[in-house]
Amino acid sequence: MAESTNRPARPQRLVGAWWGPAVGLSALGFYASATLPADTPTREIYFNIPQGIWAVYVFMSALVGLLVYGFVRHSSLWSIGKPTPGVLRDVPQRLRNAIRLGMAQDKVRRDRYAGIMHWCIFSSIIVLTLVTAQVAIDADSPLDFLHGPYYLFFSFYGDLFGLIGLIGVGMALYRRYFAQMHRIRWDERLEDHLIIVGLGLVLLSGFFVEAARIMVTELEQHPDWARWSFGAFTLAKGLDVFGFEEHQLLSFHAAAWWFHVSMAFGWLGLIVFTRLDHIFFAPINAFFLRTDSPGRLAKIENIEEQEVFGVGFIQDFTWKQLFELDACVRCGRCTEVCPANISGQPLSPMHLIQDLKAHLANVGPAIAQHRHETGDAGREVSPVALIGDVIHDETLWACRTCGACVQECPVMIEHVPTIVDMRRYLVMSEARIPATAQAALENMEMRGHPWRGTALERTTWMEGLGEVPIFDGSQDYLYWVGCSGSLVERNLPITKAVFRLVKESGASFGVLGQEETCNGDPARRLGNEYLFQILAQQLVETFKAKNVQKVITNCPHCFNTFKNEYPQFDGNFEVIHHTEFLAGAMQTGALKATHAVNANVTYHDSCYLGRINGVYDAPRQILELVPGTNLTEMQRNLSKGLCCGAGGGNMWQEEVGERRVNHVRSEEAIGTGADQVISNCPFCIQMFEDGVPAIHPEEEGRMRPFDIAELLEKSVFGETVTAGEQSS
Amino acid sequence: MHIVVCAKQIPDPETPPAAFKIDAATNKVIPAAGIAPVLSQFDGIAAEAALRIKEAKGGKVTVISLGAESAQAAIKQVLAMGADEGVLLKDAAFDDGDSYTTAKALAAAIKKLGDVDAVFCGRQAADWDMGQVGLLVAEELGWPVAIIAKGVEATDSGLKIQRVLADGFETVEMPLPAVVTVSNEFGDPRYPKLPQIMAAAKKTVTPWAAADLGLDAGSVGKAGARLQLQKLFIPEKSSKVELIAGDTPQEQAAALVAKLVADKTL
Repeated sequence: MAESTNRPARPQRLVGAWWGPAVGLSALGFYASATLPADTPTREIYFNIPQGIWAVYVFMSALVGLLVYGFVRHSSLWSIGKPTPGVLRDVPQRLRNAIRLGMAQDKVRRDRYAGIMHWCIFSSIIVLTLVTAQVAIDADSPLDFLHGPYYLFFSFYGDLFGLIGLIGVGMALYRRYFAQMHRIRWDERLEDHLIIVGLGLVLLSGFFVEAARIMVTELEQHPDWARWSFGAFTLAKGLDVFGFEEHQLLSFHAAAWWFHVSMAFGWLGLIVFTRLDHIFFAPINAFFLRTDSPGRLAKIENIEEQEVFGVGFIQDFTWKQLFELDACVRCGRCTEVCPANISGQPLSPMHLIQDLKAHLANVGPAIAQHRHETGDAGREVSPVALIGDVIHDETLWACRTCGACVQECPVMIEHVPTIVDMRRYLVMSEARIPATAQAALENMEMRGHPWRGTALERTTWMEGLGEVPIFDGSQDYLYWVGCSGSLVERNLPITKAVFRLVKESGASFGVLGQEETCNGDPARRLGNEYLFQILAQQLVETFKAKNVQKVITNCPHCFNTFKNEYPQFDGNFEVIHHTEFLAGAMQTGALKATHAVNANVTYHDSCYLGRINGVYDAPRQILELVPGTNLTEMQRNLSKGLCCGAGGGNMWQEEVGERRVNHVRSEEAIGTGADQVISNCPFCIQMFEDGVPAIHPEEEGRMRPFDIAELLEKSVFGETVTAGEQSS
Repeated sequence: MHIVVCAKQIPDPETPPAAFKIDAATNKVIPAAGIAPVLSQFDGIAAEAALRIKEAKGGKVTVISLGAESAQAAIKQVLAMGADEGVLLKDAAFDDGDSYTTAKALAAAIKKLGDVDAVFCGRQAADWDMGQVGLLVAEELGWPVAIIAKGVEATDSGLKIQRVLADGFETVEMPLPAVVTVSNEFGDPRYPKLPQIMAAAKKTVTPWAAADLGLDAGSVGKAGARLQLQKLFIPEKSSKVELIAGDTPQEQAAALVAKLVADKTL
C-alpha cells in the first residue's frame, strides 16, 4: 500500500537491501582469489566425510523434487480461481514492489523488534546459502577460489552471519517462549516450533562441525587461519580444554556433519509443508500487489450478465486472492491492528485468511477434479458453505474496510477486497444483511441517501449563510456537501464552516443543493455493487452534464470514491478534500488564521483520508498555523491510526462484541489529555460525539470533537456562524 | 395456491416535514420535488407473508396496484421480492376515488384473474391510514376476511391466522378463498436478491383499464366515490410560553401550583 505521498521523503534506509553490495563484494573477492596460487590458507572440502559429496547431492535432489512437488500442489489449488484482471499491468512498479516490499521487507520493519529479528534470520540464511553454494562451486567445478585472503574473509563472514542467525533465533525464541502472550501465538502450530528450533540446531551444529575440523586441522597447525572463523575458533578453544583424542574429534566431527547437513536439508524441506513457503510467496505476492489505489474496490464488469454475484464459493475468488492465502505466515499483525478485533468483535483478519486457506486445501482438490471431469464451475462440490460455515456472516460485517490489516501485512495480503467480495455475495446473491444495514441500503435505493428518518433537507445547512452559489459549470470548484454533511444535524456546522472558509478564500465555487445524491460509497462497501454502479453512473452523468472539473469534499468517503472509484465509470475529476484545500489556501495567504483558539487538541486520522489516501500533512499544517493550538498526537496515528468504527458501512450497523470501536478510540483520544479531538470526517465526528460521553460521562471537562474546518473557522472569523446564530 | 397481493404506492412517509406541502385550492398533496413515491410499508409486509406461503406450499403470487404509471415501481419492487406477475389498474376514471371505489376495482381485477385463492393486503395504506380497502375487497368478493394478522400460515384446508387484538392475540382458521390484512408485527419484508431484481426488471406489468374490468367509468373514481374530501390541511402547531414569576424556587413552585389550580389542571 502506498505510504503518504505528501510527507517529506525520509532518507531511504538501505539495511533491507544490504546484501546487494555484499553479493557484489563477494563476487570481487571470488574473482581475485581464483587467481591466487593454491598454497595459501584453505581447507579441504568434505574433510573427514568421504561420502559427503554424494550425500549432499542426494539431499539436494530430494529438496528440489520436494520444492517442485510443493509448487505443483499449491498451483493446482490457485488455478481453480478466476482470472486476475490487470495483474501484469505496471510491471516496473510491480518489480519495485517485489524488491522493496518482498526483498527489502519494508513492511516487516514496521515492528522494530520483529524487523531486527527477521533481518538477522533472513540475512544469515541468504549468506549461509551463498557460503554453501561457494563451497559447492569450489568443490565441483573447475573453479578453485577458496584459498588465500578470500578464504579467510569467507570464513569470517560465514561465522559472522552464523552468529547473526543465532541472535535472530534467540530473539525469536524469546518472543515465542518467554515474552508475554504474543500475537505470533494466536494461531500457534507444531511447525512453528520445528522451524525455529530446527534453524537454531542447524546453525549451532554448523559451528560444532567447524570447531571439530579446526581442532584437528588448524588449532595447532594454522592458528592464524583459524582465528578468522572466530565463532568456531572460540568454540574450539573451549572444547580443547577437555583434551579429546583426534579419533574422538574425527568421529564427533562426522556425526555433527551428518546431523548438520541432514537438519539443514530437512529444514529447507519444511518450506514445502509449512509457512516457511513465504520465502518464495512473499516476494511474489509483493509483485502481485495492486498498483492502483488501495481505496478502490474491483468493479464487477457487466454485472447484469453474472451468474453469481461476489464470492460465495472459494473458486470464485481470483487466483491472486487464493495465492495470497498461501503467503500468510500467521504473524498476527493484521489482527493486532484490526479495530474490530481490538474491540472484541468477531473478526480476526489472520484467522479469516487461515480459515479460507484451510477451506481451499480441503475442497480445492475435489473442485479441481470436478472441473477437469465435467468442465462446470463445481459450486456444489464443497460440502460446507464458504459463507456461514467457514466464514461467519458477522465476521464479514464487522470489517470497517479501514485497511489497517492491509497496511501492516508483511506479505502483502489484501484482506479488504476479499472481505467485500464475500459481502457482495451475501447482499446480492443471498440478500442476507443485518437489518440496520439493509435499511440504509433501501434508503439509498428509495431516497438517494443512507440516513433513514432524517428530518433535514439537502438545503437546510444553507440557512443563515446568505446567498449560496449553485454550481452551473462556470465556477472552478464544486463544493460537494454529501449526505452526512447535509442530512445529519451534527454535521451542519462543519458544512457551514467549510462553505464560509472556501468563500473567504476567494475561490470560485458552487454547490449542487437538492441535486446531490449519494455517490454510492456505503452501498459498495456494504456489498451492493449493483446499487453502487447505478448511483455512480448517475452521478458521473450529472457531473459531466454540469461540466464539473474540480470537486472539494468534506467527507473522506466521498473523496475516496470520487477520486479512486469514479474513474472506473469514466468519471475523471480533480478531487480534493477540504483539509487539502484549506491548507493550500492558508499557504498562499488566501486564508488567514488570526484569532487565537487556545485549545489543547489531538488529531484523529480518518482511515479514508489518512491511511488509504495518504493525506496526513495538510490537516497537521492547518493545526500548526492556527494560533493557540497545541497538538498532542495519539499513540496510534498516521498510517497506524485506529478507525473510529464507522467505516465499511458500520455507521449503519449494530455492533456485536465486547466493546464499541468508537469507545476504544475515544478512550485513546481522551488519554492524550486534550480538550478537543479534531478530525476531518463526518462519520468520525459522529462516532466521537457518541463515544466520548460514554467514556467520560461527567459533562464537566469533557473532550469535544470538532472537524478541523470548525476549528479553523473560529480562528479565521473569530467565531463560528453557528455560535453567531445562537447569540443573536 | 394463487395469492394476490394488493400494493399501493404512496408519497414517501419520510419526506422531511419542511418539504411536505398541500395545495389548498385542489385539496391535494403537492409531490415533493426530488422525493420519489414508495411502496406502502404494510403492503411490503403483506407481500412477504404471501411469498412465505408460496415458498412453503408452492403456487403463485400476483401483485395488483391501482394508481398512476409511477406505481410500476411499487409493483416491480414486489416482483423483485419474488412475486410472479404484476397488474396495474390504470385509468383516468380511477382518479380521486375512495376506499370503496378502489376496492371495487381491485375486486373486479381479482375476479378477472379467476383462480385466486387468497388476497393479502397491508393492514392500511401508510398515507391515509384508513384501513378500509382490505375489508371492502372481501365484501365485494363475498369472501371471509381476517384483519391485522401477525402470523399467516397455510393449512390443508385453508389459512391459520394469528391476529393482533388490543389486549393480546387470537388465532383463527378460515377456509379459502379469503382476504387477510397483514400488520407490521408480522416482520420485515425481505431484501430482494439481485437476480430477482433483474428478472423483475424484465417482466412486463399487465395494464388494465376500467373497461377491461367491465366497470362503468361512472361507478369508479371520483364519480363513484362515497366519501367527500372537505378540506385537506396541515394542522397548525402553536405553543404559548408563560414565565412563572418568583424570586426563589419556592416562590416559583408556589406560583406554579396556584396557576395550575386556577387552570383546573390540578
